[in-house]
Amino acid sequence: MEALGLNLGYVLVQIFNFAILFVVLRVWVYKPILGLLERRREAIAKGLEDARIAAEARENAEKEAEKLLNEARSKAAAETREVTQRAEQQAKEIRAAAEATASKAREAALAEVETERARILSDLRGQVAALAVAAAQKLIGEALDAKKQKALIDEFFSGVKAGKVTVLEGTEVSGAAAVVTSALPLNKEEQDAVQKQVLQSLGGKGEVTFRVDPNILGGLVVRVGDKVLDGSVSGQLGALRQSMR
Amino acid sequence: MEGDFVQGAKMIGAGLAMIGTIGAGAGIGIVVSGAVQAMGRNPDFSGTIQTNMILGIAFAEAVAIYCLVVALLLLFAV
Amino acid sequence: MEQSRKWWRFGVNRWFVLLFIVLNVIAVSAYPPLRPHIQLPAEALTEQPLFIFPLVNAPVYLTNTLVATLIGDILLLLIGFGVWRAVGSGQMVPRGLSGAVEAFIEVLYNLTESTAGKWAKRIFPYFATITLLVLVLNWMELIPGVDSIGFFNERHIENPFECSFVQLPLGAVGITGASNECVKGVIPFVRATATDLNFTLALALIAVVMVQVIGVRAQGLSYFSKFLNVKTFFTKPVFGVIDFGVGILELVSEFSKIFSFAFRLFGNIFAGSVLLFVIGTLVPVFAQSGVLMLEFFVGAIQAVVFGLLTMTFMAQATQSHGGEGHEESH
Repeated sequence: MEALGLNLGYVLVQIFNFAILFVVLRVWVYKPILGLLERRREAIAKGLEDARIAAEARENAEKEAEKLLNEARSKAAAETREVTQRAEQQAKEIRAAAEATASKAREAALAEVETERARILSDLRGQVAALAVAAAQKLIGEALDAKKQKALIDEFFSGVKAGKVTVLEGTEVSGAAAVVTSALPLNKEEQDAVQKQVLQSLGGKGEVTFRVDPNILGGLVVRVGDKVLDGSVSGQLGALRQSMR
Repeated sequence: MEGDFVQGAKMIGAGLAMIGTIGAGAGIGIVVSGAVQAMGRNPDFSGTIQTNMILGIAFAEAVAIYCLVVALLLLFAV
Repeated sequence: MEQSRKWWRFGVNRWFVLLFIVLNVIAVSAYPPLRPHIQLPAEALTEQPLFIFPLVNAPVYLTNTLVATLIGDILLLLIGFGVWRAVGSGQMVPRGLSGAVEAFIEVLYNLTESTAGKWAKRIFPYFATITLLVLVLNWMELIPGVDSIGFFNERHIENPFECSFVQLPLGAVGITGASNECVKGVIPFVRATATDLNFTLALALIAVVMVQVIGVRAQGLSYFSKFLNVKTFFTKPVFGVIDFGVGILELVSEFSKIFSFAFRLFGNIFAGSVLLFVIGTLVPVFAQSGVLMLEFFVGAIQAVVFGLLTMTFMAQATQSHGGEGHEESH
């Protein structure tokens, strides 16, 4: 032992030396540095956490902005649509009003024309009757009873004989509405008589419209639904022409 | 005169004792070779392998240390 | 530029190296190198013991390894103080030497944590202190003057260490016999501490004793069942005896750990310093530089190995030893 230089005193001195170093280094070096490492680790973790939070916040802000933008966009779109609709509505209204005005004016004009025509035709009626009587007198050569002639002419034009509508005799009609066409406008009594009889044949109910068409020459054409009762002079002439051929 | 012979014999003995370190040297070589190969194959575990390698080297070296102690005792103590 | 480049063709530093080699040759031819005498025990520098250790009655002289230990202590304490001040100043990353120490400590701590887990905090100070102390003391050997400047001794001192010089086989200068004549020889003022067995033995004792202490702290008294394994002695006759024998071997291996710890460090550093002496005497020019580089690595490796082994043994002691029922105990 002695030759190897081993000596308990030196060993103890070295052990004490180590112990002192151990304590001092532990206080001065290890604890501060391990604390520093810990702090640094925490700081890094905190930095990462902060970065995460910031990223989240940014994401939220972006989302919020996106939402606001979308809202604004949809609101603008809605407003645009509404305005467009309103404009269209107004345009339509204006157009409709104009159309209505125009059609009203046209109708008024038409009605006026119609009344005028009816007035002219009814004015003509007397003269036509007189002309016909005169012509007949010339042809037949003898004067008829003036009253009788008048009745004949009236029957010719109105198709109403002794208060009865000739064309409705012996026929059956059914329908909701009837259109009665005459060559010359009917007078009030004739109209009443025709209406009464047509309604009777229709079953008491229905609507009767009167029209004037000089082309039929005389008599009446009654149309109920799809059925036409032709009592007109032109119709009879046509039938005669057919049978003579 | 006789003391010189004894002295020479001690030194020869010390030298012979150190022959034993051949084994330790070969052993350490084998340990390190295996460890390096393992680290090359599996670099993720280098830390663990290194620690175990140093432990293995320490145990292999212990034999060489016994040789050294014997040699030192022969040279200085006996 | 062009001209000077041509002139200093090989760079400035090479010329400096050449200059130093030439100076070295001149110096060596004027004053031939003197081999420091090689001896195991540390040389005492004082004639009187510093103090006599009270209980064991052992005289303590101021030996040259003790001087080296004190210098190493002062260096370490200065470094420690610097680190303490650097960290205390609140900066997150210390600069300079403190930063280097901090990085080194961090590496050591990560190593400890990966090996010892939750016991890292308790084990780490031993590991770090042993590593730092041995590292500093080993690298002191590289400083010029250590191991080479000292008394040129022709004194005749009556003390047990002084006159046990060894007769060296290679035409040595410092020669002594068993006699009390102390002839010519250099007794360095500072000698690498690890070449003193007292130091390495002290460290080894601390390491191994602390391994046991930490083992007991971690596992309680069941730690000792590793050594005195009588659990299976009666239940399984054959294997019980084998287990008991293994336990005894464990006990022996604990003692041999002290031995191998002490002699590994001592052997490596002592061999290194002897190599430096011999090379320095045989080839006094330039050759020692290579050996110094080798010693730099050996010193670092031995320091780390000493610390790492201590740490590993401590980590192993915290884990219960192989038994079937032991795993739940902690």
